[in-house]
Amino acid sequence: MKRFLSISIAAASLVLALEAPAALRPHYGGTLRILREDTPETLDPAAAGHPVPPALGQDLSQLIFETLVKLDDRGRPRPGLAVSWEAEPGMQRWHFRLRQSVHFQDGSPLDAVTVASSLRTSNPAWKVLPDQDSVLIETRRAEPELPGELALARHGIVRRAQERLTGTGPFSVEHWEAKKQLVLVANEDHWAGRPYLDRIEIRFGEDSRHELMAFDLAQAELIEIDPQNIHRAESEGRTIRASEPEELVALVFQDPPRSESDLVRRNRLAASIDRTTLANVLLQAGGEPTGAILPTWLSGYGFLFQSTANREPLPPDRGPAAGPMRLTLGYPDSDPLMRLLAERILLDARQAAIEIALTGSAEAQVRLVRVELPSLEANVALGEIARFLGLSTPEFPDLSPSSIYRAEQDLLATQRLIPLVHLRRATALGRNLEGWRTLPDGSWQLEDVWLSAEKP
Amino acid sequence: MSFRRRLLVLFSLAVLVPIAAVTVIVSTLARRAFERSNDEQTAALVTEFQREFERRGEDVGRRLQSTAEIPEVTQMGVSAARAAPDYSPFLDTAQVLARAGRLDFLEFADERGTIISSAQWPAKVGYREPLVAGAVPPAPFLKEEELASGPVLGLFAMRSAEIEGRRIYLIGGIRLDRGFLSTLALPAGMRVLLYENLPGQSFSPARLISANAAAEDSGKLRELVERVTRQGSQSQAVIHWSWGDETVTASALRGAREEILGALIIANSRRIYLELRNQIRSAALLALAAAIGLAIVASSWAAARVTKPVEDLAHAARAVAAGDWTTAVDVRSRDEIGELAGAFNRMTAQLVSQQDRLVQAERVAAWRELARRLAHELKNPLFPLQLTVENLLRAREQSDQLFDETFRESAATLLAEIGRLKAIVARFSDFSKMPQPQPESLDVAELARSIGKLYQAQLARAHIDFRVEAENVRPIMADPELIDRALSNLVLNAIEAMPQGGTITICIRRHPTGVAIEVADTGPGLTPGERARIFTPYYTSKPEGTGLGLAIVQSIVSDHRGRISVESEPGRGTTFIIELPDALARVSSAQGSDG
Repeated sequence: MKRFLSISIAAASLVLALEAPAALRPHYGGTLRILREDTPETLDPAAAGHPVPPALGQDLSQLIFETLVKLDDRGRPRPGLAVSWEAEPGMQRWHFRLRQSVHFQDGSPLDAVTVASSLRTSNPAWKVLPDQDSVLIETRRAEPELPGELALARHGIVRRAQERLTGTGPFSVEHWEAKKQLVLVANEDHWAGRPYLDRIEIRFGEDSRHELMAFDLAQAELIEIDPQNIHRAESEGRTIRASEPEELVALVFQDPPRSESDLVRRNRLAASIDRTTLANVLLQAGGEPTGAILPTWLSGYGFLFQSTANREPLPPDRGPAAGPMRLTLGYPDSDPLMRLLAERILLDARQAAIEIALTGSAEAQVRLVRVELPSLEANVALGEIARFLGLSTPEFPDLSPSSIYRAEQDLLATQRLIPLVHLRRATALGRNLEGWRTLPDGSWQLEDVWLSAEKP
Repeated sequence: MSFRRRLLVLFSLAVLVPIAAVTVIVSTLARRAFERSNDEQTAALVTEFQREFERRGEDVGRRLQSTAEIPEVTQMGVSAARAAPDYSPFLDTAQVLARAGRLDFLEFADERGTIISSAQWPAKVGYREPLVAGAVPPAPFLKEEELASGPVLGLFAMRSAEIEGRRIYLIGGIRLDRGFLSTLALPAGMRVLLYENLPGQSFSPARLISANAAAEDSGKLRELVERVTRQGSQSQAVIHWSWGDETVTASALRGAREEILGALIIANSRRIYLELRNQIRSAALLALAAAIGLAIVASSWAAARVTKPVEDLAHAARAVAAGDWTTAVDVRSRDEIGELAGAFNRMTAQLVSQQDRLVQAERVAAWRELARRLAHELKNPLFPLQLTVENLLRAREQSDQLFDETFRESAATLLAEIGRLKAIVARFSDFSKMPQPQPESLDVAELARSIGKLYQAQLARAHIDFRVEAENVRPIMADPELIDRALSNLVLNAIEAMPQGGTITICIRRHPTGVAIEVADTGPGLTPGERARIFTPYYTSKPEGTGLGLAIVQSIVSDHRGRISVESEPGRGTTFIIELPDALARVSSAQGSDG
């Protein structure tokens, strides 16, 4: 298999060398330098829980720890470390046949026992049994979405030996300093072939201004761009790749409504927020207004929920229907964008006679949160978002759009969630970064990129 | 109160009152001077604050004017001129321009008052700015600016720019904060604070801005601040901090519509005044202490000069009263006191002279009385002697037998009468031999009881009840034998006075000048005549009495410097009262003198 892949790559390289300009030919080697704002505390995908401890981003985690299943650009499950799978009737027992001749980065072979152990750690609710070259996963309820769920980074296959974590991914860890730095080196023996890059150096905890400055000084080849700065970054001549609106910004109430007046208050708050101004002015078109949890491009039905979200702000002189109300609104005060949005919500709510006190505390009555789209598969994404927000886990009798719609409708009916906007994810690419592929959710495919010679 | 103390009080008052008055006057003048200085400094600081307010406000206006001329504002005007203005490109414009213009607040608004961009609250884009509705105020003004974190006080100016026939308004300002206050030049000991007055909110120490970050209990300013923000007039109070006192003056700060938006608080340390006041008080206390010392010395000297001769006279008078007639006082001056002392000395000299003459007269009288008594006493036995001798002579002339018979009878008579003469001589001899008292500790009650036991047989025979009543009287210094003899005489007299029985009571009690011993009987009593002569020597109402018994008692009492008296009425018994003086009576006094 490995030989076949090498021959294929060589043939492809030959074709490209003949037909494409020299600058577009993939190059092996080089160090990709990345700056990010997040501050992950652990590499262990199974230990990472939302939001504490902050985990390594999904696209970085999968460089080290591969999953049994991968999703393609349209969110369809594709073979990863498992080459095939099948479910027994009832969708509660799943057999996954493992890819052969795969080795961990420490040289040990991938086997069913290690995979079963890793999956039991990532989801103790599953019953996972090794069976020669396959593993059996038994769930408590029917889970038609299980292959898609296995594509999540937290189900990455990890070999835990003497407190050292090892994966099968195209890169291995050379240096790790929690919240500060991660250095990856190419896995020469990766089953799909060696990646183009020799090394990837990632510095965490960088603020967006410093990221831009370092990028412009060619001290980094890859940085994130805040949604509200996408247009400006583009207008200043940078190469920006933006995703579809994918990251949900929403208000989440701590508790379900306790009374009719509480319900009125939540409805008034939802109706008072001018989502159009949030998206077009404050976010500088870096997001789209929404009343749905999942973006429309993913679910196909998101526009149906727009009717419940007011597109126009309430008139300033519109009086309160249920008297003055007070709420504490918590937001991550280290995030300037969230602060901007929270302050606008405060102003809008005041028009509806709702007095909001902003706080950085997580103990607020309502929180303003950002949730990245966890998966390109809609049902998996909805389940993960619900889990992240502490909402009830949705159930899907099947993977049809109507089932997903009903599940999302049920989540919104809890009156604990007010979706506001979906943010785009944008990345600034260095001039010498090649092979970039922009996925709808904006996730990075760093195993496919290479660095060309510096352009003038 | 003694004359010496009166003098001391008088002298003390004479110095205390002026010093206190001077202290109060100087303190009052110092306080008024401080208050005047404080008022002047406060007024100067308020003026400086207003000047700084105007200067900074004009500076803000200039910065706004220059901001109005930059291209971004022109772009805003162009956008505003469109049918559907899109202000989203200007989201950060105000923040960038505010940083460049060193402004804490900057907002751009179109003609309708719609906020195009806000530096202090970017999310306010699209909301209305009420100031745009009115005319553009030419002068800087105070304004309460609402931020997401709450309202703050700022110094604002407003300008406008006309672009493409559309007007863009710029409202900018700086925050009235610690930095603003620190630009004020403060005299030593003064500090300035600002209070941001929020409508509908009660006093909060968090709204108090100080040029320095000194931690203090700002709640003490609550009453003053609330008074000023409620009434709008300037108010002053003295605030006591843990580190000292301050005179705090608060003035209302008003906005463009005369609304009270805050208070300017100027605090002036009272340290200098308090130090001055303490120095004045310390000096006054020192002067007072010195004056009181001086008063003591002066009053002592004056008292000594005035009262010493008087005290000497009083002492000499007491000595004369005690019997020392030879006492004399020194004549130290020629004033009234000296004249009085000379008169006193002449008086004592005359008393001594008269006493001598009296003693001589009494001595003569005593001899005469003695001669009379002797004649009387001796005449009675001499007459029988004379008759007996004459009978013997007549019997000798008649017959021998008759002579013999007469001789035998006469011899017996002669012997009897001669015996009487010897007895009379012996009694007089005894009276003349009365010894001087030998004082020693004597329990009078015990002595009285022993006398009762001694005469128990006679008392029983005469059916007389004998009682001793003694208060808690301590032993006295007296001659036990003489006192025993005096009391025995009185008891025997009482027994003889009650042949039909009765009661004898000896009562011993304390007396103002010593001890009183009362010997009372229930006999027939004395007539006033008998009572008047009872202590006369040789007077007796008894057939066989010599009249010396009570004279001896009186002599013993007199030798003890005491006094004896009698109280009696016919039919109600007789009571003899012996008073012994304290000077000789108390053992403690005697011991004190011994020691």
